[in-house]
Amino acid sequence: MARHVLDTAVAAETPEGILLELRPAGLAARFYAFLLDWLIRLVIAYAAGLASLFMGGFGAAFWLVFYFLLEWFYPVVFELGRSGATPGKSIVGIKVVMDNGLPVTPAASFTRNLLRVADFLPFMFGAAVVSMLLRRDSKRLGDLAAATIVVHQPQRPPKLKLDGVAPVTPAVPLRPSDQAAIVALAARAPTLTAERLDELAALASAVSGDAGRAGPNVTRRVLGVAQWAMGKRA
Amino acid sequence: MTPLRFEALYEREWQELEELLDVVLKRTPAKEAKQPPRGERIAALYRRACEHLALARARSYPAYLQDRLDRLTADAHQVIYQQRELGAAALWRVVSRDFPRAVRADAAYVFLAAALLAVPAFVLGILVHYEPGLILSVVDARTAAQFEQMYSMSAESIGRTREAGTDWTMFGIYISNNIGIAFQCFASGIAAGLGSIFFLVYNGALFGAIAGYLTERGLGPTFYSFVATHGAFELTAIALSGAAGLKLGASLLAPGRRTRRQSLVHAARESVVIVYGVTAMLVVAAAVEAFWSSAAWVPSSVKYGVAAVCWIVVLAYLAFQGRHAA
Repeated sequence: MARHVLDTAVAAETPEGILLELRPAGLAARFYAFLLDWLIRLVIAYAAGLASLFMGGFGAAFWLVFYFLLEWFYPVVFELGRSGATPGKSIVGIKVVMDNGLPVTPAASFTRNLLRVADFLPFMFGAAVVSMLLRRDSKRLGDLAAATIVVHQPQRPPKLKLDGVAPVTPAVPLRPSDQAAIVALAARAPTLTAERLDELAALASAVSGDAGRAGPNVTRRVLGVAQWAMGKRA
Repeated sequence: MTPLRFEALYEREWQELEELLDVVLKRTPAKEAKQPPRGERIAALYRRACEHLALARARSYPAYLQDRLDRLTADAHQVIYQQRELGAAALWRVVSRDFPRAVRADAAYVFLAAALLAVPAFVLGILVHYEPGLILSVVDARTAAQFEQMYSMSAESIGRTREAGTDWTMFGIYISNNIGIAFQCFASGIAAGLGSIFFLVYNGALFGAIAGYLTERGLGPTFYSFVATHGAFELTAIALSGAAGLKLGASLLAPGRRTRRQSLVHAARESVVIVYGVTAMLVVAAAVEAFWSSAAWVPSSVKYGVAAVCWIVVLAYLAFQGRHAA
């Protein structure tokens, strides 16, 4: 299927024989998340530094231990939380899961974050960047060793809105995958501009018997075919 | 069956599952829940949703419907199959059984790592002892002078740098430096073991050079009585973290009958247990080093006695603990 050529989605099989679709987060999303986490850590470290000034002889020890914990365990603590993501990852909308789609285990989270050191080599996370760019599932070394994967958090899809559209019987026999493509277009319709929707509908205009034509009316008829595929009949 | 009819038929079940999951995943506060979530109901609804998803896929139902079932089954799958072991019981199992067992299971790497630490230490120690100028090839003159001051007979607190105000400060330094080194020593092992070898040899050489230098300067008594006790925890821990790193590297070099990736995952899962133990040992080491080893008022003979006990306890723990536990 064509979408598997384009998509980086990976499948994790459950004991029920269902393939769960995981959408690996790429370099850009993870870089933004890293940047946000870095800023958050900076603010926390600064606050702890200020607080340590008021602790007298104990202050330096507090700051050293606190900074050590912040540096190494900040991601572990948050990844083991309910969301499975550090604040930065949460904001970007990604999270860490095991390869099989389950929440990350303590051992795996510890492993992947220890190996950030190896990912940092030779400089500025060079190993991590190379590994993420080379792999379809965008894993860095830590993810490989810990059998974890960083994925986009699934979003609630918008419900299909085709209320005002009259069903149109297809002009040609449609295979299930063709029907799925038409309905998927209809599902995406609210997120597209009218012009782009017309362009895309024109590609599928054969299904409503309008091959070679384009325009809002053709679009309406193609969406009508989607309505038909959904089970509505005139 | 058309998608709309399919949806209408099962909508109620999906909604029920969604509501239950919202409660379990704490997306809605428990007070607002209509009923307390029951495990068997969630499991039953989850299996039904799996069937529906399989049907929806086989029949190429619209994407939004498949996406919804995808999300529903993914959430339920996480709730039903999650395994999170945290807490006192899991911690105790690591200490009482898993850590020493993991060390014994990888005894070959442990001995190799210990040799990589000890041999450079002895070689440089002897060299520097007979040719003190060699210390400058390992550290610069300022650092050498600083070490001399730290372990001088007149130091009020042994091993403390002039800048550090209290024993607590040294505790902080030991925690962040030593555990950081151990973590690096482990993690860099993924580069075919080279990183671990580097850290082991480097730290061994550094330790040996300083020991040789201070001995030659006649500061041996303060230095060795200082190092002896916490060394039982610290030196062993560094060797163990190196062993865990070597194991990672070896898993990539010689994966055996697994793929390299499987082999790495497997090795990481086993060796991270060693890193847990190493972390705990280094916390103990930091406390001992900061508050006991540094105490100038404790006579050397007492320190050597305590040190001997510590070495015996640590080695016996690694060699025997958890042998017969189920």
